[in-house]
Amino acid sequence: MLALRLARGTHPLVLVRRLLVAAASAGVGFLLLCTLAYASTHPAYSTASVLRLLWCFVPLAATVQFAVAVARTDPSTRPRPGLSAVGLGPIRLGVLAAVSTAVSCTLGSMVALLVFLYLRGDLTGLPFDGAAAGLLGAGAPLPMAATLVLLTVVPVAAAAASAMALRTRPLQAAVPEDGTQDIVPDEQIPAPAVPPTGLPWGVALTAAGLAVEAYASRDGAGRAFPLPGIPDATPTWVLAGWSLTAIGLAMAGPGLTHLCGQLLQAVRPGAVRLLAGRVLMDEARRIGRPLGVVCAVLSAAIAAIALYGTGPRHFGPLTALGAVLVLGCTTATLLTSALEAKQARAHLVQTLLRLGAPASALRAATALRVGVLLVVFAPITWAIAELAALPLTG
Amino acid sequence: MVAPPDNDVIWARSLHHSHNGSPALGGISLEVRDGEILAVTGPRGSGKTTLLHCLSGQLVPQQGEVWFNSVPVHTMGPRLRERLRRDRFGWIAPDPQLVPELNTWENAALPLLLRGTSHRVAKKVAMEWLERLDIGMCAKKRPHTLLQGQRQRIAVARALAGSPTVIFADEPTATLQRTDRNHVLRTLTSAARSHGITVVLATHDVEVASLADRTVPLLDGRRVATVALPAVSDTEGRAACSLSV
Repeated sequence: MLALRLARGTHPLVLVRRLLVAAASAGVGFLLLCTLAYASTHPAYSTASVLRLLWCFVPLAATVQFAVAVARTDPSTRPRPGLSAVGLGPIRLGVLAAVSTAVSCTLGSMVALLVFLYLRGDLTGLPFDGAAAGLLGAGAPLPMAATLVLLTVVPVAAAAASAMALRTRPLQAAVPEDGTQDIVPDEQIPAPAVPPTGLPWGVALTAAGLAVEAYASRDGAGRAFPLPGIPDATPTWVLAGWSLTAIGLAMAGPGLTHLCGQLLQAVRPGAVRLLAGRVLMDEARRIGRPLGVVCAVLSAAIAAIALYGTGPRHFGPLTALGAVLVLGCTTATLLTSALEAKQARAHLVQTLLRLGAPASALRAATALRVGVLLVVFAPITWAIAELAALPLTG
Repeated sequence: MVAPPDNDVIWARSLHHSHNGSPALGGISLEVRDGEILAVTGPRGSGKTTLLHCLSGQLVPQQGEVWFNSVPVHTMGPRLRERLRRDRFGWIAPDPQLVPELNTWENAALPLLLRGTSHRVAKKVAMEWLERLDIGMCAKKRPHTLLQGQRQRIAVARALAGSPTVIFADEPTATLQRTDRNHVLRTLTSAARSHGITVVLATHDVEVASLADRTVPLLDGRRVATVALPAVSDTEGRAACSLSV
């Protein structure tokens, strides 16, 4: 109940973020239900059904990542004196965050179920009911237990992930245990983040993924990148190569971001370059990981368009929904992480403004950070997309 | 509008301000002379911080005038006030308010860098001030590795490095122990006197105020002759309780 009460008093923007989580959860729920419908109407093609179910895990993972990012930026679950005064510590706040995440995801699942039944023609009375009856397998009855299990996957996964993520959040308002220091907790300066070490591993994994993919597609000429719902083209090694590349990019993201920051503040920096670079170095983990994921997704999208954009086989509506979900969720995660970084820096901005720093300088620092990240990551994304598409088109 | 006298750096007249309705300043007038160290004293909640915010242009008073070197501050736009703060004023807060990502000398050189001074000059000036404040040996360290007293001295060095006309120090020693407190105050006052920098020092501590040339006592947002509250006797509350129950 406290979660709902806190949600009622929050800023509309926070509610919009929660609604986005609900929408993403609805999309994933809908995809899972479609898989179930396919499986119940095509009992002979069990491999294809399993493949479709496995493909659903990509948007599921993106949604969970987005839900965790939203839970981290949620102001109502941040450790704060108002709740700390009544005894709600970080552990209970983690539970609170999990509950709010579960509530928004369950809302999404309910919407998914309603839309699914409605489009299938089971619920009538509105226009367009039963518009996609054939696609959603209107003939076969839905097994109740399977529906419930599939619909609870997203809320449970998202709630567990956000509880875990917030439980390991560093305590900012920690009071020293020995009590010798008579310092108000706010005055303790947090230690800077440790520079990320995943860059070599990320590069190695990306290269290995590309190599595996090229090697696998060497002999199997004509077999292209598999899309869900096409059971005849499932080159496992190509998929493995793609997964390795994606993981490698996500791992290399923080290291690359740290490198960008280091480059920005190198060689006699002025105030803007110094602030931009150092903040980027410190935020490398927070920004870099979702940035790497976005790069992986974008390069996959570019490669898929290069392979299928002009071909005879176009994307089906469900594939398009999944792609939109993955792209939207990863981009929204990146933006939310940027917002989280901004929230964490609010104190610093106050200090700088008090020193008389012009607001234009702070904006210039932000623009510089964004510009450097774009300049570094855009060519990498494009190059990896081209490399990944090369063996399949050639 | 009366033009202020020429020998005052800062001249404020009948400042009124309230934070969302709760009154903070109730008609304070004061003048700060060139090169003096002025202590603004009073208990917590007497409006010292709000007064310093108004004088330094961080806050525009709802009524009243603030003049700096015969220029009205209260009519300036936010951009001009920002520039005034950057070029002419220094600010020392109760906590050091350092930028955790920058090391010691970069923190001290930040006001100069923000003005567009070259990297080399800013580093030289900042290092000179850090040496003078006995923290030259930690110039390359990050603030989180230093002691609170050292951090506060960095904040003092940052305020002095910009060679401002006026330094506003709002309870600069509130979080320090006695030895650190004396050190910080001694360096601040001696540096200000030797460089002719005016200091406006807000404090609730009588010892600290004794370092100043002049004292302006505040009470409940007004200027008073002296802050001498009647002593609260121990038994007052008990007697009242026993009567009422």
